[in-house]
Amino acid sequence: MTALALAAFAAAAATPLPPDPQGQVATLPAPASPHWVWVNDFVFPHMTDGQAILVDGDSGRFLGVLYTGFGFSRENLSHDGRLIFSPETYFSRGTRGTRTDVVSLYDSVHLSAVGEIGIPPKRSANMPMMGDSELTDDGRFLLIYNFTPAQSVTVVDTASRSFASEIETPGCALEYPTGPRSFFSICSDGALLDVHLDDTGHAATRTRSVRVFDVPRDPATEKGVRRGSTWYFVSFGGTMYPVEITPKGLMPGKPWSLVSAAERAQKWRPGGLQQLAVHAGLNRLYSIMHQGGPETHKDPGKEVWVYDLATHRRIERITLAHPAASIQVSHDAQPLLFSAFIESSTLDVYDARSGRHLRSVENVGTTPTIMVTP
Amino acid sequence: MSWLDTLTEDTARAVARRTARRGLLGSLGALLLGAAGLPLLPVARGASPKPAGAGAADKTQDETQCEYWRHCAIDGYLCGCCGGSASACPPGTEQSAVTWVGTCHNPADGLDYVISYNDCCGKGTCGRCLCNRNERDTPIYIPFESNDYDWCSGSSKANIPYHCSTARIVAPAK
Repeated sequence: MTALALAAFAAAAATPLPPDPQGQVATLPAPASPHWVWVNDFVFPHMTDGQAILVDGDSGRFLGVLYTGFGFSRENLSHDGRLIFSPETYFSRGTRGTRTDVVSLYDSVHLSAVGEIGIPPKRSANMPMMGDSELTDDGRFLLIYNFTPAQSVTVVDTASRSFASEIETPGCALEYPTGPRSFFSICSDGALLDVHLDDTGHAATRTRSVRVFDVPRDPATEKGVRRGSTWYFVSFGGTMYPVEITPKGLMPGKPWSLVSAAERAQKWRPGGLQQLAVHAGLNRLYSIMHQGGPETHKDPGKEVWVYDLATHRRIERITLAHPAASIQVSHDAQPLLFSAFIESSTLDVYDARSGRHLRSVENVGTTPTIMVTP
Repeated sequence: MSWLDTLTEDTARAVARRTARRGLLGSLGALLLGAAGLPLLPVARGASPKPAGAGAADKTQDETQCEYWRHCAIDGYLCGCCGGSASACPPGTEQSAVTWVGTCHNPADGLDYVISYNDCCGKGTCGRCLCNRNERDTPIYIPFESNDYDWCSGSSKANIPYHCSTARIVAPAK
């Protein structure tokens, strides 16, 4: 038989593939896998086109994307896992016209918009920071940083899906939750503004702390991470300044250093955009590190150093597959470490315990900024 | 990659050491309220394309280069690459009224100058000649010394998008 005849015979014997139904749309399983990661992207070359991209760290699969408007920073995941809250800015004529700020609500299964909450058109457009928007510890109120350049915080009630209040925070920036009805902002003199809300989302008390950060000498970055009742802020030079949430208020903890004297002499220091991550269960802190002089505090690093938060001892040095300016960890017992770099579209995935590189995912966004894990 | 350009880094730091922007800011604080940072990529140093025929020209005197002397604390797309210049916005955009300032050293005349990094606003992002230099940059809780804000969204001309960044001379630094 000729090859042609063989092929014809095989075709006659095979069962044909069934036709595909029209109109199929993928959905996501619920609840979310702890190994998923949201890679946020403010798409700097086209800032009206912000995106939040969902990737499965186990498979490297691109699961879906949200389009999130101009100057996008980050989304916030509802505590029940059903909704995604996304503070967004739009213009009536694309890149011009009337500005509208909203919190968009997306369904976590369909990644489709299911509602929006109007907020004052004051949302800060800045280099994305986790503190640009945060939920209170009970998930009830969404806090959004405003800068016009007057500084304030918009409070959104996620239960009634409505704007609740605007709290003035003069001289103080961002939000760092400290409880079900409280947060602090960092003030320009290194003090903290401790804000407590009432049950309607209005400010009940606002108290300025003593100076916690030595701003003139070695400023702490605004890129803090939290474990339980402690926020960790690292300085440009690598000194860790804990902030303790206590019944008596916010208290500075005892500073400690990420670098030894010898490492400091070798110019090791932390750097990046989302340069710290914490895994609460392992009680470990992860920090992107590089060698550089002063004013390299935004530079990427090719290593992540891992610290035991109980002893402050470094327990691992992870050499990265690619330079990273942003890292995040998953919160489960077999955690993944994710790394990204704003000048690259490659997302790297590591075993957060061993540091082993598991996979790289290409074409994740344009200018990936900060990552959020469920 | 551009962020490995340690020569630029070292040069820039030397400039920063020779200048005293903090003191200057104190005296100019009222005038420059709103001193602005710019949108930012954190590590895009010297990423500018070379202008045609530039060859080995002095980059510190070329406003389309990240190494241009006025850009010592800039963070954004250079308006000189976008139809404008170091001091003028591209056609059809508006210059933000508020800005943040740096003090930069001009090697051509040996003088230090106060530089105002006004953003140009009202069109989509230019996307050319990204530049980020972080001399004396502070966290965003110190807004007027941080280059991480988009001041198009923060001025009286708020609510319009960021296009590019200028680097205007305000005055010689005393």
